[in-house]
Amino acid sequence: MYQALLTRRYLTRKIMPLLASAAVMLCVAMELITWSVMGGFLNQLIASGRSLIGDVEISRPQTGFAHYEELVAMLEADELIVAAAPTVDAYGLISLGEGRTSFCVIKGIDPESFDAVTGYRDSLYWKPLDEPLPKDDAGADPRLDPEARDLFAALQGFGETLEPPERDGLPEKPLTILGLEVFSKRGLRTPAGFVEADVLTQRELTVNVLPTDRSGGWLEPTARRFVIANEFASGVYEIDSRTLYVHIEELQDMLRMDEAEKVETGTAEIIYNDQGEPIGFGSPETVGVDPARATAVLVRGVDDADLNVLRERVASIYDEFSRKHDGVPPVDFINVLTWEDRNATLIGAIKKETALVLFIFGIISLTSVFLVLAIFWSMVSERTKDVGILRAIGASRMGVAWLWIRYGLAIGAVGTTLGIGLAYLVITNINAIHDWLGTALGISIWDPAVYYFTTIPEDFDATKVVIVAAAGVLSCAIGAVVPAARAARMDPVKALRFE
Amino acid sequence: MISASNISKTYRLGRVDVPVLRGASIEAGEGEWVAVLGASGSGKSTLLHLLGGLDRPDRGSGAIRFGDTELGSLGAAGLDRFRRTQVGFVFQFFHLLPELTVLENVLLGSMVGRGRLGFLRERAQLTKRAEGLIEVVGLSHRRGHRPAELSGGERQRVAIARALMNDPPVILADEPTGNLDQGTGAGVLDALSELRLATPDGSPRTMVMVTHDTRVAERADRVVTIADGVVQAGAGQPASR
Ligand SMILES: Nc1ncnc2c1ncn2[C@@H]1O[C@H](COP(=O)(O)OP(=O)(O)OP(=O)(O)O)[C@@H](O)[C@H]1O
Ligand SMILES: [Mg+2]
Repeated sequence: MYQALLTRRYLTRKIMPLLASAAVMLCVAMELITWSVMGGFLNQLIASGRSLIGDVEISRPQTGFAHYEELVAMLEADELIVAAAPTVDAYGLISLGEGRTSFCVIKGIDPESFDAVTGYRDSLYWKPLDEPLPKDDAGADPRLDPEARDLFAALQGFGETLEPPERDGLPEKPLTILGLEVFSKRGLRTPAGFVEADVLTQRELTVNVLPTDRSGGWLEPTARRFVIANEFASGVYEIDSRTLYVHIEELQDMLRMDEAEKVETGTAEIIYNDQGEPIGFGSPETVGVDPARATAVLVRGVDDADLNVLRERVASIYDEFSRKHDGVPPVDFINVLTWEDRNATLIGAIKKETALVLFIFGIISLTSVFLVLAIFWSMVSERTKDVGILRAIGASRMGVAWLWIRYGLAIGAVGTTLGIGLAYLVITNINAIHDWLGTALGISIWDPAVYYFTTIPEDFDATKVVIVAAAGVLSCAIGAVVPAARAARMDPVKALRFE
Repeated sequence: MISASNISKTYRLGRVDVPVLRGASIEAGEGEWVAVLGASGSGKSTLLHLLGGLDRPDRGSGAIRFGDTELGSLGAAGLDRFRRTQVGFVFQFFHLLPELTVLENVLLGSMVGRGRLGFLRERAQLTKRAEGLIEVVGLSHRRGHRPAELSGGERQRVAIARALMNDPPVILADEPTGNLDQGTGAGVLDALSELRLATPDGSPRTMVMVTHDTRVAERADRVVTIADGVVQAGAGQPASR
């Protein structure tokens, strides 16, 4: 019993245990913050795949494959699959004029199905907002402007459908949705950091792509003018800085992947009349229709689907599909990949990096064991007489040892609790802290161009807290073992003589 | 009641053996108050520590007995238990725990050896006993104070109350007045004498008290002196310091 009382009194009466607790606090906070941020980074990287390719992507770059509507229907009939969407992906050069060009991934999408798979409509940036975003205390977001409400609502509508408005009964130029970071807007932000509404939307943009023929050879480049209907922000810098959405039919047309009549090859025939006089050229005979092609079909599984199972299912459906049609490449010639598969090297590297950083910080945290050991060693020395007194009134060696281990546990518990609190504060405010570092000290640790995400992700969860807390308390107890053993071995008579 | 016969105690200082006790014998009968005189460094404290089971005599030297028990035959746990239940130590330098209040210091004796549950179960009763002891030594009004806020005499009274918390049959006092002026010392001795007699059946506790002060020794039933590592009856030479 005396251990509990003395622990409590020792803790509140001395500066040393506070220092030890502070050391533990810092170690615990450091571990939790790194783990949460790196874990969050990884989670977000994995989750971001969904906003780009859904859960599984069937792809055949460049040449693509035909009859994709049928594949989509077959996929959607499966109970594991919620939706599927065809896309056409191409690299292209886009130009705003004034020499502003950018090399981008042009994604031809069917807005309806693409949204069903990726939820891209939620990522549209220009839309009316009623409430400021959580960080925007001043309400400086241009999207909050009530006068621009109608404009933003219209932009949102265009972004959702990609249907150009009509003028004089004819559609205007086709629409495109630009990744928010495509043309660096560093100099074009309001003081609060928001992009001005009228910087790019409603401006025209030229998209240049290189169609290929069936054998993969380049044909003449195609250029087309688009109007920027909206911008999107997936939160992944890599995507937002180099992706552009256009309507799938528009891109198929530009890449000559749209439906075409198949004709007899050879020269045009001259048609003669009954008298044998030439009366004109006959067009080559139509021998069939060359169906439109897509380069990828994206699949979204049911929410709790195991992605590997889903991928196998998708592959087998594709296999079945490819057997029905000549000219559709067999399953071995296409890619059926999850986002993690596609980024296996990167994700694997980040996983290893996380483990490594945790390991290194674990070793650093070992210093907290030694710190506790050193502090306890000196505290035991300082309290030698207390040990003598306790022994004189009948305390056992084990009892005295337990007093110190208990004390270590208490310091560990206090330090760990504070550390969790500190980590929580830092993690929940990490973006604000980072912004503050940037504005106040000019330090920008998190460069989105390097780290993929425009805000620092975090994943602070109970499992991590429990593991780190247990390690923190345990390391204190371990640090206390040696001084505790020393206290236990003390000769009580010498301890009483100690001045 | 408690006795040491023919015990030796040698300290090792580096390579040199320092014999402090060489075949010392002492006995205190039931309820007897024995005063131990001796020059500084003669081994008075050493003898007291041995009697209280805080230390063991040299291997092969004589035995210390408490009633029918030979302390040498007790293991570590047995000795801990012996100190906890059978003896109460009072020291020259009080030896209170500075972080604890007066009441907690007194209760400490009853906390040692009891688990948290055991203590909490008897808490009311134990607190009552502790408060009773504090009242006898005249410190009820300072129950919540810390040792640093008390005078020397007051601290020694707290130490006495603590020594008696577990109602031990034997008190071992090592110069309890050595650090106090004469008047205060007399008051402390009064408190000690009173508590010595405060037993359930009114029979006095056995007390071995080390002292320099012949006037203090005069209050004892019997006086012995340590010199040259052995104990002799009587006051011997007046102690010098
Ligand atoms: N742990 C130890 N190691 C070495 N020598 C010791 C140790 N403890 C005591 N001594 C020596 O033993 C001798 C007796 O010490 P002790 O404390 O018993 O004397 P004392 O009679 O109580 O003296 P005082 O009246 O000054 O308290 C002293 O010379 C002391 O230096
Ligand atoms: Mg002494």
